[in-house]
Amino acid sequence: MADVIITKEEIAAIYPKVAETMADALGCDLEEVKPDASLIDELGAESIDFLDIVFRLERGFKVKIPRGKIVEEARGDLSESEFEKGGIVSEAGVARLKTFLSEVPAERFKTPMKVADIPRLFTTETFCKMVIRQQRVAEASGSAQPA
Amino acid sequence: MDEHFRAYTFVDRITSIEDGMRIRGAYAIPADLALFPLPLLAESVGQLAAWAAMAAVNFERRPVAGIAGGIDLLAPAKPGETLELQAELESVDREAVAYGGTALVNGNPVIRLEHCVGPMLPMEEFEDPQIARNRFALLRENGAEPGTFRGLPAISGTRTSGEIGKWLRATLDVPEAAPFFADHFPRRPVFPGTLLMHINLQLVTALANEIPRPANGTPWMVRRVSDVKLRAFIAPGEALELEVRLTEQTENSASMSVKIQKGTKTIGGARIFLAPQEPVLPARRGGSGGRIDRP
Repeated sequence: MADVIITKEEIAAIYPKVAETMADALGCDLEEVKPDASLIDELGAESIDFLDIVFRLERGFKVKIPRGKIVEEARGDLSESEFEKGGIVSEAGVARLKTFLSEVPAERFKTPMKVADIPRLFTTETFCKMVIRQQRVAEASGSAQPA
Repeated sequence: MDEHFRAYTFVDRITSIEDGMRIRGAYAIPADLALFPLPLLAESVGQLAAWAAMAAVNFERRPVAGIAGGIDLLAPAKPGETLELQAELESVDREAVAYGGTALVNGNPVIRLEHCVGPMLPMEEFEDPQIARNRFALLRENGAEPGTFRGLPAISGTRTSGEIGKWLRATLDVPEAAPFFADHFPRRPVFPGTLLMHINLQLVTALANEIPRPANGTPWMVRRVSDVKLRAFIAPGEALELEVRLTEQTENSASMSVKIQKGTKTIGGARIFLAPQEPVLPARRGGSGGRIDRP
């Protein structure tokens, strides 16, 4: 799941609807939503906004997005202890995150990085990829519905 | 008097739960109240949904505050009337509950909620899980003593600035103490979001009274509240700034935005849609148009 290739074309196809969802959920102008904008640091999102965004995307794209699982997905094959120790992401964990969140500019991956700060990395494009992954899951299970 | 399950509780009975996801109940609005504000109808449906959500996770978590995608205010409910409550959970887990629901009076819907989301938080931070379990059993078996709600204390925003018919700003000093804090919630008092909505709708009405009336000359009525979100808990004694702004107006519709600020931080907001008190039918060719009865 963590290593599937998502093309720029796939992201471009759903980006306008995801960006509109972000703007609605965050109460900001559509122009403020950029593909690489950090939802927390640049658009002021809080934890409840993430819930709002996830539920709006689920309704908009007719997919189920597993909540609270993004870090688990990002971890991929690494065990929890390989990924983090005492709430700090390990070197291997940061490398894994850079692969999984390839859309996030490299300079935003600070070390040491707290696990609690991982959501600070999430951008609009992160959520595009999340939707695409779940669309694929739905297609694979034969439960895909037209968005 | 212990105000838990009395001062801000709007479900008297749970009549059925199907598959843990569809729940029905009832609430008798005390007959001696002066009025029953519309946001309390939303609270009533939300509390019913909350019981199903809490039961789904064995009362280890509970929904607190959150998001309402859309609330249609269809008709008032009067003191002495009984609300028939229905809610359907779209999903529930230890992180969040998503639901919609309706309250009806004599079979007619008075309020409809859609796309509501509540973060599920550890219940023991807010109330004793065992007391909640016992209450749930009471609601399902015999029903609770009705008529315990004594009305809302007089709390309103104090207008501080604005432009007539365009926008207004008000301050709200959340009281340090009030009976509803003992119910919402016993271990951690939180100013109820629906009470904040009630105060905001008072300000919306004040601004609506300053704009030209609809084409049929009747006052503006709030018909729908959407994109309601509270990002932070509001504790007793906090000071808030509320802002209401007219965003659009036509002959027969108006919309406003509501913003809630704590210090410099925006902690909540909503969109409000208003319509004439009586819906106006489109003018017929050669005719003078007409009115239809409210649903």
